[in-house]
Amino acid sequence: MKKTTKLLSSLIVSLLITGSALAEVRTWTDTSGRQVNATFIGLEGENIILQVADGSTHTFPLTKLSAEDQALAKTLKPAERPVTIDSLVLSGIQRANPERVKSGKKPLTTFNDLANDEQFVRRVYLDIVGRIPNHAEASAFIKDSKPNKRAKLIDLLLDSPGYNSHMYNFVAEMLRVKDRMDGGNNIRGIPYINWLQKQISANVTWDKMVFDMLTATGKMWHNGAAGYLLRDSGMPLDNLANTLAVFLGTDVACAQCHDHPFSDWTQRQFYEMASFFGGTETRYRNQRSKGGEGMQMADVRGKIMPEIEKIVEKNGMDMSRLRNGIEQFINANRYEVNDTGSNATKMPHDYKYPDAAPNSPVAPKLIKWAKDDGDLECYKAGEATAENPRRAFAAWATHPSNPRFAMAVANRMWKRAFGLGISEPTTNIDDPDQSANPELLKFLAEEMKRVRFDLKAFMRIIYNTRAYQAASTTEFVAMGEPYYFQGPLLRRMTAEQTWDSYMTLVLGEPDKYEKPLDDLYGNTIDLDLNNPKLDAQTVLMKYDAFRKMQQKEEALLGGGLAEAGAMEDAKKGRSKSKEPEPDMMMENASLSFGKLVLRRASELEQPAPNGHFLIDFGQSPRNIIDGSSKIGTVPQVLSMMNGQAQQMLTSSDSLIFRTMDKVRTPSERVDAMYLTVLSRRPTMNEKQIAQRAIGGGDDGYANMVWALINTREFIFIQ
Amino acid sequence: MKTELNKLSPLARRDFIMRTAQTALGVTVMPALNLRAAAAAPGPGYGKAKNVIFLWMNGGMTHIDTWDPKTGETKGPTAPIKGKGGIDYLGGTMTKMAEVSDKITIVRSMSSKTGVHDAGTYIMKTGYEPRGTIVHPCMGAWASHFLGRIKGVTLPDSVIVNSGSAFPGAGFFPPASSPIPIANPQTGLQNIKQTSSELHFKKRVSLMNELDDSFRKKYQSEEVKAYTEFYDETMKLMKSEDLKVFDLAQESADTRAKYGNSSFGQGALLARRLVQSGVRFIEVQFGGWDMHNNIDQALGGTGQTMDSVFATLIQDLAATGLLESTMVVMGSEFGRTPDINQNSGRDHYPLAYSTVFAGGGVKGGFVYGATDKDGRRVADKQATPMDFQATIGHAMGLPVDEVVMSPSNRPFTVGDKGTPLLDIFA
Repeated sequence: MKKTTKLLSSLIVSLLITGSALAEVRTWTDTSGRQVNATFIGLEGENIILQVADGSTHTFPLTKLSAEDQALAKTLKPAERPVTIDSLVLSGIQRANPERVKSGKKPLTTFNDLANDEQFVRRVYLDIVGRIPNHAEASAFIKDSKPNKRAKLIDLLLDSPGYNSHMYNFVAEMLRVKDRMDGGNNIRGIPYINWLQKQISANVTWDKMVFDMLTATGKMWHNGAAGYLLRDSGMPLDNLANTLAVFLGTDVACAQCHDHPFSDWTQRQFYEMASFFGGTETRYRNQRSKGGEGMQMADVRGKIMPEIEKIVEKNGMDMSRLRNGIEQFINANRYEVNDTGSNATKMPHDYKYPDAAPNSPVAPKLIKWAKDDGDLECYKAGEATAENPRRAFAAWATHPSNPRFAMAVANRMWKRAFGLGISEPTTNIDDPDQSANPELLKFLAEEMKRVRFDLKAFMRIIYNTRAYQAASTTEFVAMGEPYYFQGPLLRRMTAEQTWDSYMTLVLGEPDKYEKPLDDLYGNTIDLDLNNPKLDAQTVLMKYDAFRKMQQKEEALLGGGLAEAGAMEDAKKGRSKSKEPEPDMMMENASLSFGKLVLRRASELEQPAPNGHFLIDFGQSPRNIIDGSSKIGTVPQVLSMMNGQAQQMLTSSDSLIFRTMDKVRTPSERVDAMYLTVLSRRPTMNEKQIAQRAIGGGDDGYANMVWALINTREFIFIQ
Repeated sequence: MKTELNKLSPLARRDFIMRTAQTALGVTVMPALNLRAAAAAPGPGYGKAKNVIFLWMNGGMTHIDTWDPKTGETKGPTAPIKGKGGIDYLGGTMTKMAEVSDKITIVRSMSSKTGVHDAGTYIMKTGYEPRGTIVHPCMGAWASHFLGRIKGVTLPDSVIVNSGSAFPGAGFFPPASSPIPIANPQTGLQNIKQTSSELHFKKRVSLMNELDDSFRKKYQSEEVKAYTEFYDETMKLMKSEDLKVFDLAQESADTRAKYGNSSFGQGALLARRLVQSGVRFIEVQFGGWDMHNNIDQALGGTGQTMDSVFATLIQDLAATGLLESTMVVMGSEFGRTPDINQNSGRDHYPLAYSTVFAGGGVKGGFVYGATDKDGRRVADKQATPMDFQATIGHAMGLPVDEVVMSPSNRPFTVGDKGTPLLDIFA
C-alpha cells in the first residue's frame, strides 16, 4: 500500500499538467483471460496503474493485459484528481493509525466499503441539490446498469437548478444573509439575496464574487453586491472580523479589543486591516463642504417632514400613523456604500500598548501568516492606494497567491461533502500543519486555484472520490476529535435539506416552484437623496407606491408563519384536504398548505420567521457565521409527529399516495412508498411489517408514511 | 489536561474521573449530587435559588440609561431618579423599577472583552469565549448535569421564551438537557396536540420504532440515540397535565394586563407560571436594545417596556412568596458607549456595563461595584462574564469549582473558573 502511495505522489506532478477526466470503472482482461473491474489511473513507463473498488491502486506491467486493453489504455486520459485525493486521504488514515490504536480502536487499512446505490443516490441528491430524490429519480438510478452511472448522476445534478438552491443556502448561512436587516423595518436584504442567487446560478467564480462584494459601491438595489457591507452597516469592525474569518479562515475577532490571547494577532494589526475600510461609509451623508448639493439628513427632518405633515393633514389623514413609515422609507435610502477618499481609521481611544497612542491615525497594512509571505504576488496586488484602499484589500484577499483564500474555501467545501473540515474550525485555520491531513489540505488549496475558484468544478472532483463514495462511518466520533475521512460522517439533514425533502415529497419537483421574480422592494424603495430639489410631494408619492408594492408582496408571500400566529381563521388558506395542483396557482403566487408556503427554503424569507418548520429544525438565525444547529429538540419532534407538514404528507391525496395509486398490489405499493420516502426498496421483513400495518385499517398507508417520515433513517444522511 | 488533573485534590480527582465516565456515556442526564457530600460550605446564598428567571436584553443594554446613569458629559436624555431601598440613582426611564428597587442588587462593574453581538451573547450565557471546536453549555444544561432532571413533571428542565433557537443549548452535554424554545409565549408549545386518537397515535409510534430498528442498531451514534430519546420525552410531554402551564388564559385579565401585551410581558408571565410548575431555568428574551440611533426614542419604547415588565415580575413573585427561592437575573451582551454618537445613539461598549439580580437569596437595595464619573471604566470591584455565570451557578447550588470533562476530554467548569460575587447575597 505504501509503495503505491509513493508511486502516486511522484505521479502528481505530471498528472497536474494534463486535463481532467473523470474516473470510469470498466472491466479489464489480462492475457490469461482473468477479469477485474477497475478504474484507469494512468501509465507509468511500461506499467499501468489501476484502482479497484476498495480504493487501493495496483501497478503492473502493461504487457500483462490483453492486446485490446493495452491498445485502449494508451488512448485513455488518466483519471487523476479524485484518485490523487484518495491516495492523500489514505496516507492520512494510515498515519493516524498508531493514535487510533492508543485510544483503543482498531487500525483502519482503507476506506469504508463503497456505499450501495440506494445509499449513494439519496446522499448525492441531498448533498448536491439539497433534497431527497423523488420516486422516479431514485428508481431510474437504481435500475441503471451502466458502470459510470455515478459520475453521470453527479454531472447531471451539478448542472440542475437544485444545485443553485442548495449552494445558495450554504453561502447564505456562511455570510449571515438576512431578508430583514438590522437597523429598521424597511431595510431589506432582498436585492442582495437576488444578487447572490444570480451569481450562483451563473457559477461565477468564488474569487470574483468575493471581490465584487468587498469592492461594491452604491445602494443595494442598484448593486446587490453592496449588501455584503450593508449587512453590517454601522459595525465595520465586526464586518472585517467576519470577512477575515469566512474568506481567509483567520479568526482575529479578539484583537478588536485587545491582543489575541492565543494567536499572534495584535490589536494594532486588526486596526491596520480595518484601515483599508477606513474611507468607506455605509450611510449616506452629503458633504456640502466637498461640493455635494444633495439633501442633508437635517434638511429631510427639518424641512421635508414638516411639509409632508401639512399635506397629510390637509388630506384629513393622521400623521402620527404615517410618520414612522415615512421616516423608515427615507431612512432605508441612507444605506449606501461610498468611498470618501479620506481615511477615518483611528486607534481605539483606550489603546493600551506602547506602539501607538490612543486615537492616533492608523495606516492600512496587510497581515502575514508566515515571515516571507511578503514576497507573494498578492502583497503587491494589495499595495494600498490612497484613492481606494478597499480595492487593494480585495485584490490581496482574493488573489490565488493569498496564503489562506483558496485554502479556506477548499476546506469549507470539503466539510460540505464529508461533515467535517480537514482543519477545524473552518473559520480559523491557524496552522495548516496542525490539521487532520496537512498534505490533503494543501493539495485541495492548489486544486481550488487550478480550477480557478470554480466551486462547481471543485465539487465535481470531490464527489468523484472513492472517499466520498464510501459508506458513511458508523463509529462514534466525539466533538473535537480528529477525523481522517474513511468516508463521509453520518449527518443529520440540515433544516433546509429536511424542508426541501418534504417539498419533494409533496411537490415532486420542487425546483419548478420559484419565488416571484420581480424585486418589488428594489423597484419602489429608491429615493434620490442627492437631488437638492427633492420635495415633500415627491417623497409622499414614492412612499405611496412603495406601500402598494409592499402590500402586493405580502399577498404573494402568503405572510410569515409568525404573523399568522393565532389568527389562523382570519387567513384564507386553502382547505387542508386539497392537494395543491399547478393549475390552482395564481399568477406569481405560491402553493400553500394551511400556513405553509410550499417552496424550497432558498425561495422563502431569509431566515424563516420564528416558529417556522425551518427554525424548529435549526436553520441559522443568520447572526453568526455557520449558525445553524442539527441537535434534536422537542419542537422539532413535535413538528414531525403533529405538525402541519406531517399532516400534509399523510393526507390521502398527497403526492406519495398518488404515486402509490399508479401500481396495484399492496406489495408494489409498499415498494413505491419506500422508494419515495427512503429512496430504497424495503427488506423482506419490512415488507411483512408494512403489509400487516396496511391490513389493519383504512389509514394503514397513512400510518406507514407517518412512521417512515419519523424514522431516524429519514432524517440522517448515510 | 494532565496539569489540570494534578491540581485537583485526591477527592476531587476521584469525582473527576467518575464524572468523565458519566459524561462520556452521555445520553441520560444523571444526578451526581452524592459526590458533593464531602465538599466544604461554599458561602452565603449557596443553593438558595431553586429556580432562575434570566431576562436577556438582546442587542446590548445601555447601562448609562438604565442601571448606572450619569449626569456629566455622558448623561442620557432623561435625568436620573432615586430608587426605593437606598438605591442612589436609576435611569430616568426606570420609574417603576424605582418602586421595587429595595428588592434588587445592581452590579455596576461588569466588564467584558468583546463588542460583537454573537460573541458577547455567547460569553454572557456560557462564561466561555466562543470556539469553533466546541459548544459550551448554557446554565440550564449545567444545572441539569449537576442536579439531574427535575422530578415529578414532564416539563423540560429549562425553557427559552421569545426565541426560536436554543443556542448554545446543551453544549457538549447530551442534547436532552437543551432548553426548549418557545417562540411565542401566547401560543406556547407548537404542535403539541396529537392529530389523531391516542390509540391510533400509539400504533404509529410502535410502527415507527419497528421499521427503524435496524438503522438504529447500525448507527449507534450519540446523535441518533439522542433523537430517539427526544421522541420518548416528547411523547411523555404530549400526554402530560403539566401542559396547562402554557395556557396564559388561565391568568386573570388583571394579571395579564399588568404584565402588558408585549412579547416580553407575556413571556415574563409565562416564566412565572413555569416556575410555579417546577421548571428550573427560564430565559426570557427581549430585543430592541441595539440603540445605534435615536436612543431617546428607543428608550421610550424598549426601555419603558422593560421597566414595567421587570417591576411587575418582581412584585408578582414577591406577592406569591416565590421570590425567596426564585432568582431573577437581567443581563445583556455588553453596555453602550458613554458618548452619544452622530446618530443620537450609542454604540457597543463591553468595557463597563451592568447586570441586575433579585430574589433567590440576593440582597435588596444593594449596589455592587461602580464605574467612573462618566461610566467609561470600572472603578471598583470589576466583575467578568465568568463571575456573572459563577454567581448564578452558586445561587443554584452548583459546584462551580468542579471540573467536568467534555466527551472530547477537555476540562470545563461552570463559568470558566469565575468567582461568585458572594457580597450580593444576604
